[in-house]
This record gives sequence, C-alpha cells and structure tokens, in this order.
Amino acid sequence: LADGVAVLPAPQNLSVHSANMKHLLTWSPVVVPGEIIYYSVEYQGEYEILYLSHLWIPSHWCSSTKGPQCDITDDITATVQYNLRVRATLGSQTSAWSTLEHPFNRNSTILTPPKIKVTKDGFHLVIELEDLGPQFEFYVVYWRNEPGAKEHVQVVKSGGIPVHLETMEPGARYCMKAQTFVKAIERHSAFSQAECIEVQGDAL
Amino acid sequence: RCSPSMDTNPVKESFQGIKGAIQTKDTLKNVTILSNLHSIKPLDMCCVTRELLEFYVERVFKYREKLSLQISRAVSSISNSFLALQRTVQPCKEHNLCPCSEEATDATRNINNNYEELEVQSAVIKSLGELDVFIAWIDKNYHQETSTA
Repeated sequence: LADGVAVLPAPQNLSVHSANMKHLLTWSPVVVPGEIIYYSVEYQGEYEILYLSHLWIPSHWCSSTKGPQCDITDDITATVQYNLRVRATLGSQTSAWSTLEHPFNRNSTILTPPKIKVTKDGFHLVIELEDLGPQFEFYVVYWRNEPGAKEHVQVVKSGGIPVHLETMEPGARYCMKAQTFVKAIERHSAFSQAECIEVQGDAL
Repeated sequence: RCSPSMDTNPVKESFQGIKGAIQTKDTLKNVTILSNLHSIKPLDMCCVTRELLEFYVERVFKYREKLSLQISRAVSSISNSFLALQRTVQPCKEHNLCPCSEEATDATRNINNNYEELEVQSAVIKSLGELDVFIAWIDKNYHQETSTA
C-alpha cells in the first residue's frame, strides 16, 4: 500500500532466452487473484542509451500483452546492447518499471547445429537444411565415406530448400554435416551430427 | 586500403519502411544535403564513410521527438545499426588506414554546411530522407570492392 492505495507490484525476474536469433523476454507474473494483468514492454538500443537516455520505445508486439513473456526479436535489430523494461497494468493501476539487470546483445544468442535431411534424387546427393530465417547461411561439408576421402565444402544461402550437392557413384557411401553462420553477429554454430547415405548399384 | 565488410541490409530494411513517409515530410525539394558523394575518390572512401556515419549519429538521429512511433522505431533501428557500422570502420582509423585528404575534408564540411543552412527539423528530415543516397554509395563502393577483391 502507498498512502492507503493498493500499489501493483512490478514484474520480477526478467531474463532473455535467445536461441538462433529468436529472442524471448520472460518475467515472473504479477498475480492478483481473479484479475487479468496486462504488461507493457519497452526497449532502448545502445544509441538511445548513449544519446537519448530518456527515450524508451514500445516493443513491436508487447505494448499490452497478457502473457509473462514477449518476443522481442523484431525490436532487437542491431548487434549492440539493448536495455529492456516491463511494467504491469490492472485497470487504472500501473506498476513501476522493472528493468533487465544486464543489457542484452544478440551476439549472445545460442546457435544450435542445424537439422539436416539427406536424400538422393537418382544418383544425385541432396541435402535439405532447417529453415532458420533470412539471417542464416549454412556450411555443408560432405565426403565419400572411404579412407583418404577429400572433404568438400559448399555454402548454402538459405534453408528449407533441397540442394543438389553432387552426383554419386554407384555403390559408394556419402556422408555430410552442416553448421550455421550468422553474418550479423559473425558467429557460427557447432556442426551437426554426420549423416550418411548409400546409392545402390555396383561400385565402379 | 581499408574496406571493412559493411552489412547495410538492416538499415535498408528499416529505411524502406519509412522512406515514403520521411521524404513526403521533406518540403525543401530543391535542396540536398549529401552532395557530390559520387565524386569521392576510392582513397577517400573510408574517411568520408566514417565522417558521414558520425554526421548521422551526432546530428541527425538524435532529433525524434516530433516523429511518429513507427518512424521513431525505424530510426532507432537505423541508428543502432550505424553504431555497429561505426565499430566496423573504427579499426581502419586505429591502424591509420583511414586518411582524410583535403578533398574529403572539404566534401564532408560541405555536407555539414548544407545541414547548418537549414532549420534543424528540416535538416533532420532531409538528412533522413537522403539515407538511401548514403547507403547506395556504401553498397556501391564497399561491396563492389569486396566482389572484385
């Protein structure tokens, strides 16, 4: 209470979960039995922090949201530090702002090895990579599964589309693995597990 | 010569969303601020790039109070991308690979003079509206450079 007036508590435990350049701000919900609480999220980038510290910008998707989370991916558009804050609203009551303890930078996102699907189109070796969005490129490494085989590397600019890598020789076994690369943060993921495929027929 | 990899895509995407609105607000159609970029010599590119990034960061992106939320958001995105671009160019200066010739200095001084001849809000709107000129110039000079390197 403040001067006898109920004060809505501010949201607590703000944190950002970021994986593959998708950034989710979460917080502990404010609970008032029988009531629906709405939340507002605002951000300021490093430019605002440095030059316009009074200026906070309403989040694209969460200027008034029910869930104790907010997809801030569309707000985080540069590889710089971002401050984030949340407040709760119940009717005419508004809580104080809660600010993320440490600024968030998207270069800390977790990059997971991409899912890959290896198929053959006749004698053609084909790979399809997980579609992770426009910011992702892929390095695909493939080789013929035999001693001393040379590794080949191919850059694939986007996922979700089958890519023909090579024409296979009958009876041979081919393997491949892939990793993602995000130019915006100059980082790549670990390699996926290798997957192999064999084409029938007599080896030459 | 120093030619860092300049990722201008985020800026282009943000600017595309507000270009019409900004350029419509520009009432001084017969005046330009970014003049003569086409005459900048390759050796002066780094210096002019650095100077213009600073011009926008220091003199243009600060003035947003009178802009709509949609434009303010886009300008925030662009200004933060400019901070990242500044850091991309910074090593060139630190390694003395970003010299400023007299012509380059004159060119950026002219741009600042053009800005100062206008009332601040008009100068801000016009400078924002000419972002496509600056970005096209960067793309032409840096990406053409890296593609022929």
